[in-house]
Amino acid sequence: MATIERLNNVSHKDLKVNTQRSAQLGDNVMFSLSFPSEFRSAQAYYPIVFHKDADTGQLYPVVLFGFQQQENLFLTDDKWDAGYIPLNVARQPFSIGLQDQQRVVNIDMDSPRIGNEGEPLFLEFGGHAPYLEKVSGMLETLHHGVEENKGFVDCLLEFKLVESFTLDVTLNDGSQHQLLGFYTINEDTLNGLADAQWATLRTKGYVGPIYMMLASQAKFAELVSRKNKLLNLS
Amino acid sequence: MNTSVKKILIVGGGSAGWLTAGLLAADYRFDKSVQISLVESPNVKHIGVGEGTWPSMRSTLQRIGIDETDFIVKCNASFKQGSWFHNWSSSSQPNHYHHPFTAPVAAAEFDIAPYWFAHSENVEFAHAVSAQPAMIEAGLAPKQITTPAYAFVNNYGYHLDAGKFVHLLQQHAVKQLGVTHILDDVVAVQGEKNQPIRSVETARHGVIEADLFIDCSGFASLLLGQHYATKFIEQRHILFNDTALAAQVDYADPDAEIASATLATAQSNGWIWDIGLQSRRGIGYVYSSSHISDEDAERELRHYIGQQANEVEFRKIPIRPGYREKFWVHNCVGIGMAAGFIEPLEASALVMVELAAKFVSEQLPRDPFHMTITAKRFNQTFHYRWQRIMDFLKLHYVLSERNDSDYWRDNRSRETISDSLAEMLEVWRTHLPSRYDVPMAEELFPAASFQYVLLGLRHMSELKRQPVKQNNQQRAMQHFQQTAVRKQQLKAGLPGNRALLKQIHSHGMQTI
Repeated sequence: MATIERLNNVSHKDLKVNTQRSAQLGDNVMFSLSFPSEFRSAQAYYPIVFHKDADTGQLYPVVLFGFQQQENLFLTDDKWDAGYIPLNVARQPFSIGLQDQQRVVNIDMDSPRIGNEGEPLFLEFGGHAPYLEKVSGMLETLHHGVEENKGFVDCLLEFKLVESFTLDVTLNDGSQHQLLGFYTINEDTLNGLADAQWATLRTKGYVGPIYMMLASQAKFAELVSRKNKLLNLS
Repeated sequence: MNTSVKKILIVGGGSAGWLTAGLLAADYRFDKSVQISLVESPNVKHIGVGEGTWPSMRSTLQRIGIDETDFIVKCNASFKQGSWFHNWSSSSQPNHYHHPFTAPVAAAEFDIAPYWFAHSENVEFAHAVSAQPAMIEAGLAPKQITTPAYAFVNNYGYHLDAGKFVHLLQQHAVKQLGVTHILDDVVAVQGEKNQPIRSVETARHGVIEADLFIDCSGFASLLLGQHYATKFIEQRHILFNDTALAAQVDYADPDAEIASATLATAQSNGWIWDIGLQSRRGIGYVYSSSHISDEDAERELRHYIGQQANEVEFRKIPIRPGYREKFWVHNCVGIGMAAGFIEPLEASALVMVELAAKFVSEQLPRDPFHMTITAKRFNQTFHYRWQRIMDFLKLHYVLSERNDSDYWRDNRSRETISDSLAEMLEVWRTHLPSRYDVPMAEELFPAASFQYVLLGLRHMSELKRQPVKQNNQQRAMQHFQQTAVRKQQLKAGLPGNRALLKQIHSHGMQTI
């Protein structure tokens, strides 16, 4: 459960946010939302695929961290072992709210990150601390990213470029795992697009994100190797 | 494609006419040489039967090119996962059984039914071999919002508002598929009675010629019945129901759950259908007018509806059960009620239209000489199908042990049972319904359907005593257990019917 409050410098004046990365703090997630303008940073570390929202059925891009629920193979004892943490993870425990058609910053008061340790949110006289400035920027980027997703997904669906896939993984101990419920770009269909469709993709700026998604598939090997390392530890 | 049939005229614009128009137009949309027109009277009201479909409707709509979200939103449609029969076995205490749209587990490997007998005191047949009945009883949808359009977790068809459905089909056929729509009355048919029809004459659009005439004019059967005087084979001596009393009942609470199956509840002299759409229920009593008076029937129907019965209007619809001796005569083929109609138990009306339209489309004569051959084959195929429907429907009555009226007793007397059904019943005393009972390639009802009814009504005293070959004992047990596990998983994962329909209204269904 989450208790969402609109952030303000009165009731939340002395709050601090723990920005470390661990399962206890809620970082044990299998995947997280992403968006085209983040793909360049994300694809260097994670596979980028599509997933469906359980409440709406709408597709959206996600970065994958593991093979099953609550598995984040990038979490080590004391850190997130990758050079880039996706914005939708990094923004926690903050989110965007709407008040009088204005975007405002909300905070989840039930987040284990909130307490007396970590980054302060406000300066002595109520101004935003540098950390909060950074978070506001992230939320703004994320907001535009989510907007961007709709056009991106709709266009790819229209061109029939999205297909479901199943990933069968055999680990070093012989155990077999299957990754279901994710979608990727059909390269054959992509290659067969008509010139006019290519022009549309180019005009909308989707060519780069499409190829970054395809290139990110190489990172599945990284996930498998991290999973195999866990076997050796246990 | 080169066909000798260039111009097709469909006469009549109900669900049969527009389904046929849509299917033909979709199949021939790249063949400009085939022109499809539909003439319908602006004065004829549609009967609006057939609020239930089979799962086949999903592929039919897809083939016509209709978007499933569009269909669900515009036709007040909901999901149907089978039929749920109440009180058919006896009238003394509540009893029910299911005929779900999913075949028994293991159906592709072996017949699991004999292994169920040992457990028959603890679990109903349909519940043992399929997870679907439990979902139906829980009012759960056959899919999730993440499931693509037309795909399913559990197989399904629809409940729909027939009037809205006709409108959607018409819009799509005319606007997307280029069907020519003529609103006019057909006043005469031109051609000798023993020759192909040359043309039909309309009140305001003059003479319309065509190579093939499709009679979808309903009970009137303008071409097949009136022009060609094709004999009507009445079947009332077998299926007695000749009257329906129909009502539309609002949900007491707009957020009330929507039933996921057609509820069919046996009454003193017939049965009541109960079909849940998004905004209302369609409820009706189908009965035999020679066994019960309209007044008494209405009383029973009011009792079923309960309090709300005071607010609804009842509409009486006569049914003349039977079908034509021929459906395709010269260059005229009858589809829908122009060909025949049987009471709506098992909702066979629309599926017969789908099958007939597909046959016409796929076998459209390319050579003028083929018309006679195609007609002969069509007639054979559909005669067989009508007979199978007759037998399958009659089975529901024959196996009942209700003794509360002459209606039920008469239904069991030998002279009201066809020889073909009597033969099957004889075999089924000692053999389960199997593929030997359904020899054709495209049977309407698979052996599983006969099993669901036979074993659902627990007609099995002798069957149970037959020795079971133990070859598949272990696999059967595994399947029974897996079905039980699957029920729990599905219950946790599937939304309610109403909840899913709301999600579809807000977000639409995915194409993949």
